[in-house]
Amino acid sequence: MKEYTIIAVLFAVLSLILDIILNTKLIRDKRFWIFWSVMFVIICFVNGYLTWRPVVVYGDVFYLGIKLFTIPIEDFLFGFSLLTSNIVIWEYFSNRNDKFQNQNVKSTQKSNSK
Amino acid sequence: MKFEYFLVLAVCIAGPLAFSFSKKLGFYKDTKRLVLSILLPMIIFIAWDVAATYRGHWSFNKEYISGLYIFNLPVEEILFFVVIPFAGLFTWEVVKYFSGQKK
Repeated sequence: MKEYTIIAVLFAVLSLILDIILNTKLIRDKRFWIFWSVMFVIICFVNGYLTWRPVVVYGDVFYLGIKLFTIPIEDFLFGFSLLTSNIVIWEYFSNRNDKFQNQNVKSTQKSNSK
Repeated sequence: MKFEYFLVLAVCIAGPLAFSFSKKLGFYKDTKRLVLSILLPMIIFIAWDVAATYRGHWSFNKEYISGLYIFNLPVEEILFFVVIPFAGLFTWEVVKYFSGQKK
């Protein structure tokens, strides 16, 4: 069974769901997709090297066998879900900090007006 | 060469690490946020990696790894989950910087 394929798709979807749950709105952010077009090129080099040597060897029965250069397409979903979850959490805490700071500003404004 | 995987990671993190102290980006300011953003996915992805390696979804060529293991994964593979997210988050901040903070 194509277990790697199934898990990779599942994780990619979960990382996008995380974006929706935490309300980080990256899916609709143009910069997020600019980031991914940059990362795509970098991943091709880094993962390309690792799979070309090969440092990592894949079990034939567990993935589709479709490759870009020497990289199984599942690897792109692996990278996507990893970095997307990193950025979602990163932005989630950024939003929280902003809100926290805004609240502080409001409370100081209130205390000033008193 | 035994340290090849390690060298790949070193190359990946060199640039981001050097420039992460740039005051314009302010990437270094919030250590707690950085640690959480890397650590939480890391736990889940290492679990995936341990299971996938156990099942034989992939394996690591002994020619290119140091031979040190943590949770049955090469130590380089553990470092991967720190290095790549760090480089990725740095790249994300660079993209934001150059495309403006507005959406």
